[in-house]
Amino acid sequence: MVVRVVLVAIVVTPFLIVGGLYVWSGSAYHTRAGETVEQPVPFSHAHHVGELGLDCRFCHASVETGRFAGMPATQVCMTCHSQVWTNAAMLAPVRDSLARDRPIAWVRVNNLPDYVYFDHSVHVAKGVPCQACHGEVADMPLTRQAAPLTMGWCLDCHRDPGPHLRPRAAEFDTTWTDIGDPAKRGAALIAAYHVKTAGLTDCSTCHR
Amino acid sequence: MTATFAITRSAGRGVGRRAGLDRRQALQLLAAGAAAALASCGPPREQILPYAKAAEGEELTPGAVRRYATTLTLAGYGRGVVGRVVDGRPIKLEGNPAHPASLGGSDVFTEAAILDLYDPWRAQAAAGPAGVAAWSDFAEALGARLAGHEADHGAGLRLVTGRITGPSQLRLIKAIQARFPAMVWVRYEPLHDDAERQGTRLAYGRSLTPLPRFADADVILCLGADPLGPGPAQVAQARALIGRRRGGASMSRLYVAEPSLTLTGVAADHRRAAGPLVTRAIALELARRLGAPAQPGEASAETLAFAGAVADDLIAHKGRALVLVGPGQSAQMHALAAWTNHALAAPVDVIEPIDPHPDDHADSLARLDRDLAEGAVTSLIVLGANPVHDAPDGAVMARAIGRLPFSAALGLYDDETAGACRWRAPLSHALETWSDAVSPDGTASLAQPLIRPLYDSRGAEQALALMAGQPASDARDLVRATWQAGAAGDFEAEWRQALVAGVLTRGGAAKAAAPAPRWVDLAPIARSPLILSLTPSASLWDGRYAANAWLQECPDPLTKEVWGRSLRLAPGDARTFGIAEGDRVRLSLGDRSCEAVAAIVASQAPGIATLPLGGGRTRAGPIGSGLGGNPAPLRGRDLRFSLEDMRLERLGPGKDPPVTQNANRLDGDTGQLLPTMTLAALAAHAKPADDEAPPSLLTTPPRGEHAWAMVIDAAACIGCNACIVACQAENNIPVIGPEEIAVGRDMHWLRVDRYDQGPATAPDAGFLPIPCMQCEHAPCEPVCPVEASVHDGEGLNDQVYNRCVGTRFCQANCPYKVRRFNYRDYAAGAPWGDLDVTALKAQRNPEVSVRGRGVMEKCTYCVQRIAAGRAESARTGQPIADGAVKTACQVACPTEAISFGDLQDGGAQVAALRRDPRHYVLLNELGTRPRTTYLARVRNPNPALGSQA
Repeated sequence: MVVRVVLVAIVVTPFLIVGGLYVWSGSAYHTRAGETVEQPVPFSHAHHVGELGLDCRFCHASVETGRFAGMPATQVCMTCHSQVWTNAAMLAPVRDSLARDRPIAWVRVNNLPDYVYFDHSVHVAKGVPCQACHGEVADMPLTRQAAPLTMGWCLDCHRDPGPHLRPRAAEFDTTWTDIGDPAKRGAALIAAYHVKTAGLTDCSTCHR
Repeated sequence: MTATFAITRSAGRGVGRRAGLDRRQALQLLAAGAAAALASCGPPREQILPYAKAAEGEELTPGAVRRYATTLTLAGYGRGVVGRVVDGRPIKLEGNPAHPASLGGSDVFTEAAILDLYDPWRAQAAAGPAGVAAWSDFAEALGARLAGHEADHGAGLRLVTGRITGPSQLRLIKAIQARFPAMVWVRYEPLHDDAERQGTRLAYGRSLTPLPRFADADVILCLGADPLGPGPAQVAQARALIGRRRGGASMSRLYVAEPSLTLTGVAADHRRAAGPLVTRAIALELARRLGAPAQPGEASAETLAFAGAVADDLIAHKGRALVLVGPGQSAQMHALAAWTNHALAAPVDVIEPIDPHPDDHADSLARLDRDLAEGAVTSLIVLGANPVHDAPDGAVMARAIGRLPFSAALGLYDDETAGACRWRAPLSHALETWSDAVSPDGTASLAQPLIRPLYDSRGAEQALALMAGQPASDARDLVRATWQAGAAGDFEAEWRQALVAGVLTRGGAAKAAAPAPRWVDLAPIARSPLILSLTPSASLWDGRYAANAWLQECPDPLTKEVWGRSLRLAPGDARTFGIAEGDRVRLSLGDRSCEAVAAIVASQAPGIATLPLGGGRTRAGPIGSGLGGNPAPLRGRDLRFSLEDMRLERLGPGKDPPVTQNANRLDGDTGQLLPTMTLAALAAHAKPADDEAPPSLLTTPPRGEHAWAMVIDAAACIGCNACIVACQAENNIPVIGPEEIAVGRDMHWLRVDRYDQGPATAPDAGFLPIPCMQCEHAPCEPVCPVEASVHDGEGLNDQVYNRCVGTRFCQANCPYKVRRFNYRDYAAGAPWGDLDVTALKAQRNPEVSVRGRGVMEKCTYCVQRIAAGRAESARTGQPIADGAVKTACQVACPTEAISFGDLQDGGAQVAALRRDPRHYVLLNELGTRPRTTYLARVRNPNPALGSQA
C-alpha cells in the first residue's frame, strides 16, 4: 500500500508542484491585484474623479503623448490646494514638497516588469479606455491595481481587442455606459482606428 | 503577529537560564520566519518621484527623447553633435545634420564620448598638497598664486593647453595675456600639423590651411595622406570623397602611396606600399611633368612607370585633380603639394589657420622643456593636455614639475600630468558645460550642457576666467559675452537660433587670398635601414581616450586588434631582424626606447615599421593603464612622425593583442563575400551575383504591414567603426574585456569584417559591416527548443531574452555568426561590467533591455526605434514615412552607406537599392533570404596601369 502511494506520489507530486506554482503565479497573492497601497498622502480618486469630476489628463498629462501617463508635479496639486484645504494636516506633505522643492514619493501601484515596454499613448490613440486596465478608478478611495497585469491577461486583449475599445471621445469618461453590441462596435473601431490586429501578439510588440 | 509575540515571551523566560536557542525557540523562529516571508512576498514596491516644480517653459514628457544640438571637440576642432536626452540624462550622441563637419554622421570618438561623461574613473574632486579639496579651495590657491605673479608680469608663469579653436577660450587667454604680459602660452598637440604649417610657410610665406574640396575632384593622389582615417575632418572628408566613389559616370579615381595600409589605402583604386623614397619619387615625377625644375627622384623603373601614369591622369584632369600630403611627410613635401595643386588648378580652398597660436606645436613644447630645465618656470598650469605622457621628455618634465613651487593640472581625468602636479582640479565634460569651438572647415558652433555637472567641476572657460582675474564666472555668461561683443542686430534671436540649429553663422575662418606658391625643391633623403612611422590610433587617437572601455574594445579597422596595438613590420624586415609574429621587441633610438609586440603584415612597405600612438598610458585607470608601449620619447624635440635609423631588437616571445577577426586565406571565397566590380562592368549592367533566392520547400511567412530591410553599400563603407560604437551606445552592449576576446568571444552586435583579395603583399582589401541578416528563412529559429528565436510579422527575427535558456543552438546554426552569447553577466557582475556603479547605469538606453548572463542576444534592427516610429504613427494617424525610422548604425555612418526602410513601401530607398545592379545577397546559395543585403564594391582603375591594383 505504502509502495503504491509512494509510486503514485512520485508521478503526481511534480505536477502538483508545477500546477500549484502556476495557480499561485496568477493569483492575487502574486500579482498584487486588488491590494490597496499606502501612500504618503491618502489621495482619493473617488473624491477627485468620481465626485469632483476632474479629467484623468488634468494630472496624468502625458498619457496621450508619451509612454508613461505621468504623475503630476506638486505644483499641479497646489493649483487647487493653494485655495482649498490650505491648512489640512493630510496635505502637509504636499505643501512641504513644494516648499522644499522635493518630490512626493508616491508608491507605484501598477507595475510592469522592466522587460515590458508598454506605451500609454498608443493604447489611448487606438481607443483603449483607462478603465480597460485600471478598472473603476473613480470608485477607488485609495488606488489599487485592478487587473492582474500578467502576460496572459495582456494577451487576452491583444488577441481580441474589439470588445475593450471605446470611441476616443469617451475614453476618459468615467460614467460612460456600454450601449449596443460590443462586438459590432469593436469591429467598427478596429477599422476606424487602424488597429493592426495581425501584429499584436508578436514578441517585439512589447519586448525588446 | 502571534508568532512574534510568542518569541518575545519565550525569550523573556529564557533570559538568565542559558545562552543560545532551545528546540522550542528554534521552531518558533522558523515559524515566524515562514510567516513573515509569506506575508511580505514579492519585491518592495517602486516609488514614483514627479517634479515638485515643473520646469519652466519646457513640457517634459517622461520617457520621451529630447534632442539638443551641441559641440564636441577632437584635437581642439569642433564637430556638431545632437545629444539624445531621456528624463534629463544624455544617453546617445549623433552627428548634427546642420553642421558641416558632421553632416549628421559621426565617428568613434563622438559616439564614445557619452561613456566618458559617466565614467566612474573621471576626476571627481580637486586635490592639493593637503589631499582632496573642493574646487573653491583650488580656486583660492590659484588666485593667491596668480596675484603673486602680478609683480613679475607672469614671467615665471606657463599655461599649457592643447589646440584651442573656441573663440571664448581664445578671448579669455587674451585676457590672461593682458594681465600677465610675460606669461608664455604653450600650445601643442601630439598629433600636430607642423609639417603643413611649415610647408605652407615655405610655399606661401605664411602659415595657411588648405581645405581640399573632394566633391570637385575627379582624380586624387594621396601621398601618405589618410583623409578617410581618424581625425577631426574624417566625417566631412569621407562624405565628400565617398560621395563620388559609388559608381556612375562621376566616379572619381583615387591613387594612394603610403607606408602602411590605411582606410584611404583600402578605398583606393591603385595603392602602392611606399616608403619616403618612393613617395618622393612620385611627387617629383608629377612636378617635373607639370614643368617644375625638379630632378627625378631615384626609384625603380616600375615606380617611375606608376608615377608617370598617375601624373598623366592628374594632368589630363587639370582643374579637377588633387594631390594630398599627410601630416607625417616633410614640410618640403607640403610645399611641393601646394605648388603642384596650384599647377593643377586643384579644387583646394586656402583659409587662414583656425588655430591662432603663432608657434609650431613642437617649438612651443620645446620652449617649455627648455624653460623647465633652465628653471625659468615658477608656476605651471596645464589645461586639458597631458605632456608627461605625450611629450618626448615626459619623464624629465615630470621631475621638473615636481620641483616647481606651484603646478596645477586641470582635466577630465587624473592622468599622468595630474599625478606630477601639486594641484589637480576636474574640468567638466563637454556635455556638462557651455563652450564653443570651430571645426576644421571654419564653422563656429556653440556647446551647451545636456546635464548639470555630475561632480564638483568647472568648464575650461571658467578656469581660464579665473586665471584672467574674473573668479566665480558662469560659463554661459562667458560664452555669451564672447558672441555678444560682435553681434549685429538681435543677439537674443541669434543666440537662440545658434543653440537650436547647432551652428553659428559668424566667427568662422576667413578664406585667405593666397599668393602663388613658390617652388621648393625636395632635399635628398638618406637611406635608412628601418624607419618607424607613428600614426594616430583609430580608437585612442593619441592616447587621450585610453580610459574609454568602448574605444579600447573597438577593433582596429585594419588589424582588428583590441585592447592594445602591435608594431606592424614587413615580412622582409622581420626576417632581417630575426623577429617572428607575436615577439616582444624593443625599438630604440639613441638612449631612448619603447617596447612593443610585433605583427608581420605583408602589405607593409619594406623598411618601415608602423606603430599607432596611444599605448603606454600609466595613469589611465583600470581600463587604459599598462597597454603597450609609449613611443613618445623616441619622437625627439621635433615631435616627429617618421623616425629614421631605428634599432630593433627581439626581446623574446610575447603575445599579440587579441583580435576580433581571425585571418584565414580562403581562396576565391572572398570574391563572393565581397564582390568587386569595375566601373566598366557596372556600365555594362553586369550583376555581381545572382540575388534571386534559390527555391525552397520552406514556406515564407506572408509580409505584414511593414517589411523592414537594410541595404549596405560596400563601396561606401570606409571601415571607420562608427557604427559599431553607435550600436554599443544605443543597445546597452557591454564591454567584455581582453581575456574574453582572446578566447574568441565578442559582444558587438554589429561587426565590420575585412576581406582581402589578390596577393597578400598588395591586397585589394574591403570592409563589410555585418549586422543580423534578419533572414526570412532564419536558420536560428527552428533549432531553438524554447521558441526564444521567433519571427515577427514585420520580418524581424526576435530574440526573446526571458525565454532563452542558453543552449546556443541558434548561434551554432547561424551562417553569418551574428549571435552573441552573454557568458558572464557582462553588463553587471563580470570584471568589466558596471559592478553596480550608478553613474554607468545612467548611460543605459531605457528603451532596451539590459541582458543578463546565459542569454543569447543579437542585432534587432534597433527595434526600439521601430517601436518609436510605430507609436508616432499611432498618435498622429500618419503612416511611417520612409526615413522616419533610422537605426543607430545608419545615423552614425559618415558616408551614408547603410540604408534602412520598409520593403512594403514601394518608394522606399531600400526597395530602390534592391533593384540596383550592384545588389547582392551574402551567402545567397544558403537560401536564407536575408533582409540585410549589400551593394558590391566598385573600382575605377586606370586602364593605363593595366591589371595592376
